[in-house]
Amino acid sequence: MTTTTGRTDETRPGLNAPAGPTGWTRFSEWLDRHSGQFFITPAVVMILIFAIFPLVASLMLAFTRARIGAGGFKFRFAGLQNFEKQFFGSEQFHFLGTFSAFSLLAWAVMAATTAGIVWWLYRYASTKFSWFGFVGRLITAALIFGIVLMFSATLFSGSPFGTLGVTLFYVFVGCAIQFAIGLGLAFLCSQKIRGRGFFRVVFFLPLMITPIGVGYAFRMLADTSKGPFAPLWQAVGLGDFTWVANAWTARMFIVVADSWQWIPFVFIILLAALENVPRDFVEAAEVDGASGWQIFSDITWPQIMPVAATVMLIRVIEAFKIVDLPNIMTAGGPGIATESMTLHSFFAWRSFDLGQSSAIAYLLLFVTVVVCVSFFNLVVLGRIRQS
Amino acid sequence: MTATGHDLSSRGLWQRLFEPPSINRMAPGTFITVYALLLVWTLVVLFPVYWVLITSFKLPLDVASGPYFLPWVDFTPDLHAWKALFVDDWEDTLKAYSNSIIIALASTALSVLVGSMAAYGLARVQYKPKLGSILIFVAATIAAIIAVVRYGVEWWLAGLVALAVFYFLVLALSRHFKTTLANGDILFWIISQRILAPIVVVVPIYIMFQRVGQLDTHQAIILTYAVINLPIVVWLMYDFFTSIPVDLEESAQLDGATRIMTFTEIVLPLSRAGLAATTLLVSILSWNEYLLALFLSTSKAQTMPILVAGMAAGERGVLWWTMCVTIIVMIVPVVFMAIVLQRFISKGVLLGAVKG
Amino acid sequence: MSTNVIDRPSTATPAALTPKRLTISNLNKSFGAVHVVKNLSIDVEPGEFLVLLGPSGCGKTTALRMIAGLEEVDDGSIVLGDTDMTHVLPKYRDIAMVFQSYALYPHKTVAENIGFPLKVRGIEPGAREEAVRDAAAQVHMETLLDRFPRQLSGGQRQRVALARAIVRRPAAFLMDEPLSNLDAKLRGFMRAELKHMQHELGVTTVYVTHDQIEAMTLAHRVAIIDHGVLQQLGTPKDVYNNPANLFVAGFMGSPPMNFVEGTMNNGRFRAHQVDLAVEGGVTASDVTLGFRPEDAVVVDPGQGRFDARVYTAEMTGEQTLVTLKIGEDTLAVKMPKDFEVDYDATVGIGFAIDHGFLFDTTTGKRLDARIADAA
Repeated sequence: MTTTTGRTDETRPGLNAPAGPTGWTRFSEWLDRHSGQFFITPAVVMILIFAIFPLVASLMLAFTRARIGAGGFKFRFAGLQNFEKQFFGSEQFHFLGTFSAFSLLAWAVMAATTAGIVWWLYRYASTKFSWFGFVGRLITAALIFGIVLMFSATLFSGSPFGTLGVTLFYVFVGCAIQFAIGLGLAFLCSQKIRGRGFFRVVFFLPLMITPIGVGYAFRMLADTSKGPFAPLWQAVGLGDFTWVANAWTARMFIVVADSWQWIPFVFIILLAALENVPRDFVEAAEVDGASGWQIFSDITWPQIMPVAATVMLIRVIEAFKIVDLPNIMTAGGPGIATESMTLHSFFAWRSFDLGQSSAIAYLLLFVTVVVCVSFFNLVVLGRIRQS
Repeated sequence: MTATGHDLSSRGLWQRLFEPPSINRMAPGTFITVYALLLVWTLVVLFPVYWVLITSFKLPLDVASGPYFLPWVDFTPDLHAWKALFVDDWEDTLKAYSNSIIIALASTALSVLVGSMAAYGLARVQYKPKLGSILIFVAATIAAIIAVVRYGVEWWLAGLVALAVFYFLVLALSRHFKTTLANGDILFWIISQRILAPIVVVVPIYIMFQRVGQLDTHQAIILTYAVINLPIVVWLMYDFFTSIPVDLEESAQLDGATRIMTFTEIVLPLSRAGLAATTLLVSILSWNEYLLALFLSTSKAQTMPILVAGMAAGERGVLWWTMCVTIIVMIVPVVFMAIVLQRFISKGVLLGAVKG
Repeated sequence: MSTNVIDRPSTATPAALTPKRLTISNLNKSFGAVHVVKNLSIDVEPGEFLVLLGPSGCGKTTALRMIAGLEEVDDGSIVLGDTDMTHVLPKYRDIAMVFQSYALYPHKTVAENIGFPLKVRGIEPGAREEAVRDAAAQVHMETLLDRFPRQLSGGQRQRVALARAIVRRPAAFLMDEPLSNLDAKLRGFMRAELKHMQHELGVTTVYVTHDQIEAMTLAHRVAIIDHGVLQQLGTPKDVYNNPANLFVAGFMGSPPMNFVEGTMNNGRFRAHQVDLAVEGGVTASDVTLGFRPEDAVVVDPGQGRFDARVYTAEMTGEQTLVTLKIGEDTLAVKMPKDFEVDYDATVGIGFAIDHGFLFDTTTGKRLDARIADAA
């Protein structure tokens, strides 16, 4: 048996000897113990100062009337006046739209919606009921009812709708288009093609251009007399047509530009999701005899559904904020036909009506939150639970 | 051995066009359709960019007199717009460009740093904030605002008092608060800030900066951008950090590293892919942002998007040519950044965050 | 008197169609510059359970995937029954496959998973339900039809994958290491289940594994593959007792066969202290002697074929595993459980003539020669 000779190191103090407490170690120990706080505090403080505080202040502003005075702004408490104006008062045409008598279509839509909502709430109440969930669904139902009511009184009855309707149009129609084309492109790119990397890079380009740049570019493209498609328009007889003069073409104009810019976002994420579907599943389905379409609908799509739901949630959240494009492409026109709620709020600010500006901004926040939370709970969580 | 029904020559026309002849090849019909559609979209993507590019080389006359498509064939490319931007108005261009670069870089750095730290904290540390404390904070804020607005108290005084009141109230009362929130709630709260349309908070922020005389400065915009993008950073990096095995950090802690050391020496280097993706995304958002910059700057801190918009506001109508130059010039740094960072980004990064 | 359990493909007509013969001829496949499958030719009898056995990366999975149609064939042909399948799409091949990961669709219930091949062929729900219940019953999963894969254990998932394979009564089964994700005890149980099921159904089966015990217990015949080349095709007994080359001899058996490398000199095999007479003409000069641990005994020094030094003796409970050294080479011998021996002792090693194999070291081929009894 051999023994290791011990070494007495006078020159090297034992490596395991505890360091004597110095000022620095005490500080760093204290820091380490509180490191949890240290990591999260900056973010929390920043959000509190620049998001929560302004949020609270904005709410308070919404209840005031602001006037420019000698040394700045003077605020006077005004209760619910700003909100009342939007729904019932002088701004109703601007926010909700011009109401006219219900047409037949409007009645039909209202009846169908009411029936659908009642059935949906009843089904929830009679299966798995919880107060929290019921109240949430009630809020969602109320919002849906209100929106359909607004559209019935305006669009379906032949009169124009206001910024609320315009924003909802941008969000739902725009996101639907972006999802359809983004998914289609992702599906095409996930086939056994060469150059997938090339397409990924090229298709990413629109995201890199500043939104107002996109807006101006599309203004140039859509010009029916000097734009690149002018020969086309002239051949069809639309040579003098101005996109921005007609409410619906102006809205489509903006949706086209917005989609051009945001389809790449949906495309890139869905392509990654498609590439991540385990090959085993697809091969098993192929051996089992499934055709290409059956494989996509039965195997691939359920796999990417959670990702698709989440990416669309992100897209919807961002879409509610749309302002740059309507601002510089049509300036909200013709009239208010393309004015999104953010733009509406911005215009109010520009005319120094801070109270109204905040009120509209808060209404936008309310609609966004209800739509997104509903979407999240019903679609995203539902899909994730399923898979 | 006879070949029966499944041999390749006895299929119907539709099958022959669209059914793959063997497992690794596409059917001819599919091949053509797929590539054709992808090509169409490539044109859809590239054509507007191409149009902007050639317009930047056009004389006002060329722009006004109808569409010209090919340089040197339809029209003579001219550098006058480029000259206008880089020679005649060089100071304005330089100011806007440098402002944009400074603001984008600084706000990206700030939000990625703060956001990563917060994400790491949320991933590894259990926080237990009390609901009651949060309510007290909100109440103190409202009181401070009322004091400043209604009673003309100085903002810093009101802020200090509110902070002190908040601190002492929490100290005194927190033991009575039962409801505690968890990491998931904090995470949700931070990420849900993204639902906030900037327009909701921009007015108070504007007033806030005005009161302290910080309007039209770099720092105001940098701070605002950083906060706006914080939720994205936290979301992406949280998913990234939770996918790193805890063993590595525990081993470092046993070796004597503090949490901060573990974060900087072990976790961050492993998170290069996530950091790269986040940095790219946030810098693009900051670089291209318009509305907030419009609110918070007047002349000194103007950014490129404002320069672009400025070219549509003159009495001479929209100066399409110089605007196109500006747009092109704005794309270049973004492309550069994407090229530099894309090496680090794996396609799974964003996907992982979205799945979570 | 030993009773031989007849291990032949079942001749009873199964509930399926008449079993088909699967013939692979001169199958070749390369991935880039790597030639993964080289001229593989196997004739699988109708109803036979054929195991493709080999180490990781030997090409067995690639060969299986070519039979399934998931990989393109560079050269050669695959014929099932009398249909040439070489270039046919997987869905037309009437073949079912069980993947290593089971590939159960996570969003479908067990019943929907099993019924998927039928749904895809347009069979209506009524007939489908019946077939699903039948298949589920055969794998003892009929009570779990409403569960989702994530709610099942590994063994249950494996059975669902099996049920999905058998539900449409294909002409052949392909299995890619289906038992490798199970723990040891479950593996043994599932092995027996698989074997029984295959016998009952009588479907031609090709099974891929790297585990030689699985191969030995399940197969009617084993095809051993190394680096894309077929080393030997035969019954498990054949392959074990009559290895065709060094690779097969060393691959089968646990612990593996003992090898002593030496040279031939004047009809005698020489290596370290080994000096044995050899019968039968051997032209090669570098020759390897092989014998199995269970075929050898430890005897007194000088009493066996040659001497060796004891390195360790490990009591495993049911036997004693003695490890010995000749020079730097290690040998293993299985002795009864109460056998004791000293470390470093010099002992003799004996084995019967029939249990000693001679291989050409350079080519690996088994030589048609044996050790002579004369000392």
